[in-house]
This record gives sequence, C-alpha cells and structure tokens, in this order.
Amino acid sequence: MKSEGMSKDSGETKIVRTTSAFDCGGRCPIRLHVRDGVIIRVEGDDTAGPDEQLRACLRCRAYRKHIHHPDRLKYPLKRVGPKGAGEFDRISWDEAYNTIVEKLKYVKEKYGNSSIFLASGGGYLAALHNGASAMARLFNQIGGFSTSYGNVSSEGAVWACLTQYGSVMVGNSREDLLNSKLIILWGWDPARMISGTNTMYHVIKAREAGAKIISIDPRYTDSAVVLADEWVPIKPGTDTAVMASMAYVMIKEDLHDQAFLDKYTLGFDKFKDYVLGIEDGIEKTPAWAEAISGVPTVTIEQLAREYATTKPAALMDCQGPARSAIGEQYNRCAMTLCAMTGNVGRPGGSAGGGLMGIPVGHMFRASGIPAGKNPAEAGGPSVRGTLDLNLRLARRVHINKMHDAFLKGKKGGYPFDVKFLWSVANNHLNQLGDANKGARAYASLDFMVAPELFMTPTARYADIVLPVTSPAERNDLTRPWPSGPYYTHINQAIEPLGECKSDLDIATDLAERFGIKDFKPFTDEEYLRMFVEKNPETGPEVKDYEKFRREGVHRVKLPEPIVAFKEQIEDLENNPFPTPSGKIEIFSQRAADIENPEQVPPIPKYRRTKEDRFDPLTEKYPLQLISPHPKTRDHSSLYKVEWLQEVEPHRAWINSKDAEARGIEDNDEIYVFNDRGKIAIKAWVTERIIPSVISISEGTWYDPDEQGIDRGGCVNVLTSDDYSPGGAAILKTALVQVSKA
Amino acid sequence: MQIGFYFDQTRCTGCGACQVACKDWHDLLAGPEKWMRILYTEKGKFPDVFVSYLVGPCFHCIDPVCIPACPVNAISKRKEDGIVVVDSQACLGSEACDFKCLKACPYDAPQFDQELGSKMQKCNFCLDRWAEEKLPVCVEACPTRALDAGSLQELESRYGQVREAEGFSYSKRTKPAVVFKPK
Ligand code: SF4
Ligand code: SF4
Ligand code: SF4
Repeated sequence: MKSEGMSKDSGETKIVRTTSAFDCGGRCPIRLHVRDGVIIRVEGDDTAGPDEQLRACLRCRAYRKHIHHPDRLKYPLKRVGPKGAGEFDRISWDEAYNTIVEKLKYVKEKYGNSSIFLASGGGYLAALHNGASAMARLFNQIGGFSTSYGNVSSEGAVWACLTQYGSVMVGNSREDLLNSKLIILWGWDPARMISGTNTMYHVIKAREAGAKIISIDPRYTDSAVVLADEWVPIKPGTDTAVMASMAYVMIKEDLHDQAFLDKYTLGFDKFKDYVLGIEDGIEKTPAWAEAISGVPTVTIEQLAREYATTKPAALMDCQGPARSAIGEQYNRCAMTLCAMTGNVGRPGGSAGGGLMGIPVGHMFRASGIPAGKNPAEAGGPSVRGTLDLNLRLARRVHINKMHDAFLKGKKGGYPFDVKFLWSVANNHLNQLGDANKGARAYASLDFMVAPELFMTPTARYADIVLPVTSPAERNDLTRPWPSGPYYTHINQAIEPLGECKSDLDIATDLAERFGIKDFKPFTDEEYLRMFVEKNPETGPEVKDYEKFRREGVHRVKLPEPIVAFKEQIEDLENNPFPTPSGKIEIFSQRAADIENPEQVPPIPKYRRTKEDRFDPLTEKYPLQLISPHPKTRDHSSLYKVEWLQEVEPHRAWINSKDAEARGIEDNDEIYVFNDRGKIAIKAWVTERIIPSVISISEGTWYDPDEQGIDRGGCVNVLTSDDYSPGGAAILKTALVQVSKA
Repeated sequence: MQIGFYFDQTRCTGCGACQVACKDWHDLLAGPEKWMRILYTEKGKFPDVFVSYLVGPCFHCIDPVCIPACPVNAISKRKEDGIVVVDSQACLGSEACDFKCLKACPYDAPQFDQELGSKMQKCNFCLDRWAEEKLPVCVEACPTRALDAGSLQELESRYGQVREAEGFSYSKRTKPAVVFKPK
C-alpha cells in the first residue's frame, strides 16, 4: 500500500484508502490515517485532479469520530431493565448465541418459521456486510422467515417509473447536466441529499455554463441558495396540481411536442382529457392550481412556457415529495411533462422519475452473498413487475406498517404473528412513521435481537444486543446509490473494536450452532474478488482487482454522458421501452387493471388526500409538516457525532408569520404535536419556508420523557405509518400544531 | 511572499465540510474552538429572501491587528509566507488577558476552547501541509470547490482583486489576505 506518512509521524502512520457505507448515496473515496490502531485523520480523494476528485462531504470528514465514538458498542449485552429503558449487562458471545439459538428453536417449533422476522435497513450498505443478506441466508437454511416489503426512501418513485417506463434506470449521468439550458429542481436538494458524489458540484457547473435554474420547493434550500435564479415556494402535496396546470398551459398554447407524444407515448389523449376537464368537468387551469398550491397563476404560466420552449431542459423531480399520501402521482406527472416537452432520451434533458438511476455503478447491480430461497414465502404470488401492491403484500408487510404488524399480527390481517425479531442495520423505531406506535410495538415483542454499533432508540428494546464492526473494521465493496459511474472498495483500516463481529461472522457462528455445513464457503477476500470478477458489469470493466482494491476506487470512463432511454428515442422499433406497450405509458393498462381509479388512476392525477392542507383536521392542526434529509447525518446514523451536531443544530424551520402568531421567537423551545405525539425542539424562525409549513429534519434520536414528550425531536413521532397506493411511506403528509414550550 | 485565501461565495452551500475537515486535521474538540467558521446571512422577507454563507478562517492579514493587541507578543507573522502564527505556550490564556486578540480582530479568528484559561489557537493555514506543498485541508475538502489558497499574488491574478463579499467588510487597518467572488 502506498504510504504517504505525515510530517511528524512518518513511519508510524499508515494510509488506508477506503470509503464508508452510509446510506447517503455518495461513495466518496477517503484516506484514513491510522496510527496504533486508531484513525487519527481523514483525507479526501487524491486519485484525480481537483475537478474530478470524488469529494467527501462533512459526514465522512467526521468519519473517525463515528468509528471511535465513546458510545460505540463493544460487547454483547442482555437486557436487564424494562424494554426501552436502556439497562443492559455485558455477557459473553457464548451466552448470547446460546440464548438466541434456544429462542430460535423454540419459536420455530412452537409458531413456525413465519414468526421469525428479519428487519433490515440502510445502516450500512455494502456487498458483503449489509445487514440483511447474511441473516437471510441463515434463516432460509433453517426454514425461512418473514420480512417487510419496500424501502422507506423511494417506493413512490419506483412505482411511478415502473408504471411509466417499466424501468428504474431513468437517470442521465451527472455530466449531462452541463448540456441543459434550464434545470428545474422540483423538490430536489442535492447539496443536502448527496445522491452520487459531486452531483451538487455538477449542477453548479451547469449554472456557471449558463443554465437557468429554478427551484420549486416549500423551502429555500441550500441548493436553491447557490443555484436558483428563481425560487417558487409551493405547499407540500400539491406538486401534481401545478404540473397538471403546466400541462394545461402547454396544451392550450400548443407548446407541447405532439410529434414526440405520438411516436413514443401511449395515452396522452386521456391525460389531455383530464387536464382540459373533459373527463371530470374541472379544467386544470393555473388558477385552479394556484388555489391548491399557493403558486401564483402567472408563475405557473411562465414556468410552463419556459419549460416547454427552452431546449433542452431537465426537470429534476426527486423521491422526497413522493414520500407523501399519493406521492407517486408527482413523479408520474413529472415524467409526463418530460415527454410533453420531448426531453426524454435527449442530452441535457431528463426523463424525470426522481430515481436518477444509471446502469453503471448502480447499487442494484452489485453482487452479494446469495441469500437463497425463502421456504416461508414459497408458493406466494409472483410479484415481478406488478404494480399491484396487494400482491406484493400477500406474504409481506409494507415496511411502514411493520410496527403495526408487530402489534396486531394475523388478527390485524397481516400474514404472520411475529415472535422473534432480528433487527439489523436499521433504526426503524426512529425512522418509520409513528414512532410512539413503534415504541409500543417493540415493547410488545416476545424476543428481539439487535446487532448494532450504537445503543439506538430501537436497540434499547432488544433482549440481546450484539456489537457489530463498522465498515472501517472490515473489507467490502460499495457502490453509490443510483449513479456512478464508479465502484468503490472498502479496505479495513483498524482491527474490530472490543468484541465486535461482522453480521456475516455472526450468522456464520450461528449456522455452526445449527449444524449447517458450508454456510460460508469462502473467506471475505475470496468473496470480494468473486463479486468483482464474476459480476457482469465489473467483470469486464475492472481488469485488475488488486489495483482496484489498492486504490479504493475504480472510475468508469464513459465515452459520453449516459442519457436514459437514448436508444429508445433513437430507434424505437428495435429498442422498445420495457413496458407492455413498448412505449412511455402515460396511460397504464396495468394500473387500470387494479380497478381502483381514485387511488390508482391509470393516468397521472392530482388527488386530495388525508391530512392534506384542505383536510378539516387543519382546524386543529393547521401546519403541514415536512421532514427532509439532514445534512449532518445519514438519516439517524452519525447522530452522536458532536463535530457534526455543531454544524447545524436540530431546529424546526418556521416562517416568521407562523412564529409571530404563536409568540415564538428564534431559538425558543417549542412543542410540535398532533394526535400521534408531541416533540420538543428549538425553533428556527426564517423567511426560507412557505407559511403554514414547518420543516424538521429526520433522524435525531427518539427520547421520550415521563409525559411522553419526545425530547429528542424525532420528527417521526408526528408522521403516519401509512403507505400510499403506490407503496410510498407517507412521511411528508402530516398536520401538526406548534406552541411555545 | 504573502499567502492568502480565495472564496467563491456563489458556490458555498454552507455545508460545513471545511469546518469539520479543519477540526479533524488539527484534532480540535467539538465546541466553540473553530479555526474555520461558517457565517450565515439571511435578508429580506418571504418569498424575496437573500441568503449567503461566508467562510471564517484567519485571513493572515498583511498588517495583523492581533499582533500589537497581544500583551505578551504571543502572535507573530512569518516572514517567508506571511502566515500569522500563535505561540500558545506564551499566550496568557483567555481570562488573564481578557481576549485582547479576539477583541482586536475584526474577523473573530482567534479561538478559545471553553475551558477556563484556555490558550488562543487559530487557523495556521495548515502550516504542516503547506510545508509539504499541500493546500490547506479546508480547500481540499470543499465539495463545491468554493475555496482556494496559495500565494495572494497568484490568487489575485487568477481570480481578481475583489475584497468585498456579503457579510464581510474589508479592514484597511489589518488588510486581510483574501479575495472573493461575492454573491
Ligand atoms: S484575521 Fe484576525 S487573527 Fe488573523 S491575522 Fe488578521 S487580525 Fe490577526
Ligand atoms: S487553512 Fe487549515 S487551519 Fe486554516 S481554516 Fe483551513 S483547514 Fe483550518
Ligand atoms: S466546504 Fe465549501 S461549500 Fe462547504 S461550507 Fe466550506 S466553503 Fe462552503
């Protein structure tokens, strides 16, 4: 390994090239300076010049304070106090394993395998060590298990993309932004939500190259601060109405690309009937949308004209606004506008859909340890490509309803009664809707194991807590979420702290106790080499595995930026869209077949929902709540790191108008509450948020006091545990009231 | 030679990577001692809002006012590159001298830990890196490439001589070594 020791300590300090495995969407090469088994410094990427470097954000700059945090768990623990109280005693691995094996055997015997539940999340995302796959492999080999369906982040957008395009690879590589003349950030805040390293930097470059940038968002985000020529404040949950009225303007003024629609899309006429009010008697005029969204008619008209006539233009929708009551319609409508303006498949344009996936370096295409077939789910309906959530939920529970299923089981209509929970690489109590219900659900469980790095609000309810290694303590492979084009290698920097073990080692130890032969036929190193060499994407691309491992990153040189659906647009006949019709489905027969036109309209539609801004509940709870990604954490990971906490204190964004009406001043302690719960948090009085909306970043740790007031300011105390008809976790449709504490 | 900073205020998202990287490189505790700070400006009324960020390292002034302010000559300016350094051993400590350097500096660059009697420390332009011809770590950390550093003369020829930025006011007395692209 290349060593470039520091001035004073050369010889003693080794440099380890690696990355983290946070759920941030970036995978930034970092160089860890390690001395005497401790990471003492972090440096960034140096494998390219300043412009091409994949620059880490503040999170990984603080990596060592996460890895070496004094609160890291180092020994197996068993609960000795009441659930949730956080009272634990140290035990040996042997005792932990014996208890677990005994419990597992008992539950399997008494209740059957479907009572074993595996809950996983994005705590760390890598090929070999990712929380879920090792345990899934083990559980499958002892008869199977139950689990959840879907992810919290993107189901709305995924459903929309599958409906419209039949594919989730809807993104252009970020260099292509430089070809745009107009970029619309519709709910997208790349400064905060990394989504592929350097994405924000590329939007800045696009702006500097002359692209006009408009931000449509309830908040004047940091991205908008730097990028936007214009900020269009909008009320949450009303994006689709504004989009439909933009379509109205385009149609009325004949600004849409009819030739494109005729050739590449299906069902535009039906959408047009909806927009013009032929279908339902309501014309989706800008005035109609203004009343819904708070966006002035003239602004909508200008937006529509500008977007339709500036070529090429990239409408960048996102996954965030889709995490709402019928959020998938927002992405569908955005994609429809992309088609109406002929921007799909065109350099500098965009296909919409919010997923930004490109087929090079995408995390979905990584190899991992095979989990095998789940006997407990055998004989279930085939869910491949289906848009019908009921099929997907025949054997599983929607992730946002997981806690409800723990509480109610089969009596509540769920497919299983959970008796044994393995909860790994997540902090679901904190991160799913309705945290108070989550707490009740964990308290009701018979037995729970939580392999963890920290004593999270979720882990506090476990019977056994197992200390897990961090990605700095093991080797692995990682990829950015949706858009490379690069692959990264995690190189072990330090020995496992205390008695920490990887999830794979834990599963392997348990397998041995179950008498399973050959559970882990390869060493970690053999696996990793195989994952690279045998993967259809990396195999031919990464010629020298050792070099990749040494450098920690492999960049794919693209001859030109990737543009989603370019092949389809250039030659539709030979490259149909992967939908049933082979076209972009503005009208989806598969959606129509679900026969729920109000909730699952076959064409994109604006829909009123529960807890929207017109719900009579606004009399009691007049403010709309949104919960964006934090910039100083990855969801609830990194929460403990003080260097990060001090960069941005946890405060609720509240418009001065709403603050004044309640006698609230900047930095005052406030309560935010609704029927689901109450949190205490400080107020940040700002002009950067639209009135009647309050914004609290997700991920601070749930910490209820005796009266049940959450002192941790965990926003999910206030959100709902419902999911949308397309499967989005409804975390951005909630009404609340605010008062001075 | 005089070193200096360049800051492109139109690119800064206020992310804090520079601040954290600085704390990491110099191994500073969480708390008030920040050799790099990020200053925030918000003006106007919804929806006509103006927001900008400003970095706050030490600007290694050409005529540093902190130097004469210090009663024990703990602060000095290096001849070879103009980096303003502090001899923390010599520093009397926060209470004893009542923060004289901090009060003198128009940019609040001198920093003190929260402990009683803590000695002044501040941005030293990553002296150890500079000795190895490396850029300061804050510059290398910035995800949007809003920062640059080096010889002030070269920075001026590359980026111009603008000395004003939102939230910053140029002090003719102390002459901070910085050029801007203001917002
Ligand atoms: S910025 Fe302040 S501390 Fe730094 S040299 Fe100038 S006067 Fe001294
Ligand atoms: S130059 Fe070095 S010491 Fe000064 S602010 Fe930047 S990182 Fe900190
Ligand atoms: S790292 Fe760059 S963008 Fe972030 S706060 Fe510092 S100067 Fe601004």
